[in-house]
Amino acid sequence: MSEPDPPTRVRSTPQLELRGVTKRFGGVAAVDGVTFEIDEGDIVGIIGPNGAGKTTLLNCISGLQRLDGGDIRWHGASISGMPPHRIARLGIGRTFQIVRPFGSMTVRENAAVGALFGSADARRGPKQAFAIADEVLELVGLAAKAGLPVSALTIPDRKRLEVARAVATKPHLLLLDEVMAGLNNVEIDEALEMVRAVHATGVTVLLIEHVMRVIIGICRHAIVLDFGQVLAQGEPDVVLRDERVIQAYLGERYAKRLKP
Amino acid sequence: MIARADTHRRWRRIFLILGVIVGAYALLAPLTSLDIAQSAGVPLLADRLWFRIATFIAMFVVMATAWNIIGGITGYAAFGNVAFFGIGAYTTGMLISKARWPFLAALPVAPVMSTAFATVVGLPLLRLRGHYFAVASLGVGVAVGELVQNVEYRGQPIFGGASGLFLPIYAVDNRGLFFFYLMVLAAAISIAVTWWVLRSRLGYGLIAIRENEEAAAVIGVNTTAYKVAAFALAAALTGLAGGIFSQWNVFINQDNTFPIEYNVQMILMALLGGTGTVFGPAAGAVLLQLLIQFLGGSLPISADIPFVSESARPIVAQVILGVLLVVVVIFVPRGVIDFFGGRTRLSLAYLRRSLRETSL
Repeated sequence: MSEPDPPTRVRSTPQLELRGVTKRFGGVAAVDGVTFEIDEGDIVGIIGPNGAGKTTLLNCISGLQRLDGGDIRWHGASISGMPPHRIARLGIGRTFQIVRPFGSMTVRENAAVGALFGSADARRGPKQAFAIADEVLELVGLAAKAGLPVSALTIPDRKRLEVARAVATKPHLLLLDEVMAGLNNVEIDEALEMVRAVHATGVTVLLIEHVMRVIIGICRHAIVLDFGQVLAQGEPDVVLRDERVIQAYLGERYAKRLKP
Repeated sequence: MIARADTHRRWRRIFLILGVIVGAYALLAPLTSLDIAQSAGVPLLADRLWFRIATFIAMFVVMATAWNIIGGITGYAAFGNVAFFGIGAYTTGMLISKARWPFLAALPVAPVMSTAFATVVGLPLLRLRGHYFAVASLGVGVAVGELVQNVEYRGQPIFGGASGLFLPIYAVDNRGLFFFYLMVLAAAISIAVTWWVLRSRLGYGLIAIRENEEAAAVIGVNTTAYKVAAFALAAALTGLAGGIFSQWNVFINQDNTFPIEYNVQMILMALLGGTGTVFGPAAGAVLLQLLIQFLGGSLPISADIPFVSESARPIVAQVILGVLLVVVVIFVPRGVIDFFGGRTRLSLAYLRRSLRETSL
């Protein structure tokens, strides 16, 4: 029972709009009729138990996986079925949960490749790309390690580099896939700081996270996924008190306890 | 640390000077065979046999350097690049022998044809990854050779069939010299193209594809277009070498323009020299082609291989190349070019480290 919008409120077209997005693997619907909107300048968090379809959803948005149903719109125009590089050029950047650095390049080169390609706002020649790389490495706190090979980086630093390369593409929307997973408390605080800094440059952020305090700490809007479906969405405090959400998480924990 | 940097710089200088001397000798010695030089009493520093070997070396410099663009920089192990060589050779050969085109007009068509072929074949082929691409490209390489030999129209072979194609001899003074320098020019072009690629957006995109194709795609690299461009570029250069070969050799058939062993040799050369680098494949081509010629017994400084009869030499040569491939892949994974920069030196520690890197 949703109330209709008051007629006085004029709503602009959302930046990203998902309508009934569905992705099946064999008989399993990994993402099942997901509908939500993201406005420009927002920070939105997606949470959900393991296997809820969070990463698959990001893959659908960034074009790595084709939809089996529904539609994804960018500023009102459908981007479903577009190849990933064209979606990236529109200004949708992303990171991978398991980092994928370009191993033979230095930290600086990794970021520069983002600026060499990327959105229409990036796509500079090599010289300017390296200048952008230096700015971005400063922003994520990797400037001191710019000249190092990727293999010399710690895990938290590799996650920073993953973000740096995506930010260097000058995205309007940044999809972050569990950048905080596997980090300790101090590292999470640093990573939160980094995400805030990126958001402050005017980038919309959609992040997948397991760590609750990340969602409560920086997200204005939270979406809970379970079995590929949206269980609840709204303000983080409200959503996380939702009975169905607690059940989904508690249910999982009880199930784990029952295992021998 | 400082002392070490000095040693590195000294090594680099020694290698550079050595390279310049060897290169200058290889490029200038053939000139001593010119009539003017001979009548002026200049000693003969290189004869016809040397031209032939040197031209072959330059030809393989082109092929290994071209393979490096798709195989080394982009990381797609193409096993059928010899198809581009053959297509280049047959394009020029057909235009000269059947259409009576002059050589210099027929030559530029060779890279155009092989590029067109690579683009058409590359679009479906480059969707495959890893072993699947390697095997499929090998299949294409073999198939094209068979097609060229067996395609008939009204009972007549179109491309000369099993008896091959004979080209009129190119009328030019000092033919050996001419084709040697033409092939060297093609080799120089290949190296220059590689140098340019590695500094351009194209090169960064190709390396990104090699390192992680999905990550490249989501930062905005049009992976399909880039892979096809790399394949086409490799095809253009290889086709150019084929075009030169056809007029140089005067006779072409399936055996000398689509030899399967060239596929293996150009890859081995790139690996030996160092994949993904500008000069590595060229260095590998020179070293390996000299070794092949030595084992085949056609070098003037030939020596007997102990316990091997003259007739068994080609077989033994294949065995030695095979063993070399294994040794190089395990112990010198970044190629011999690694030692030339002066950054690393060949040592037991280096070999041990390589073994650790390349084995599970």
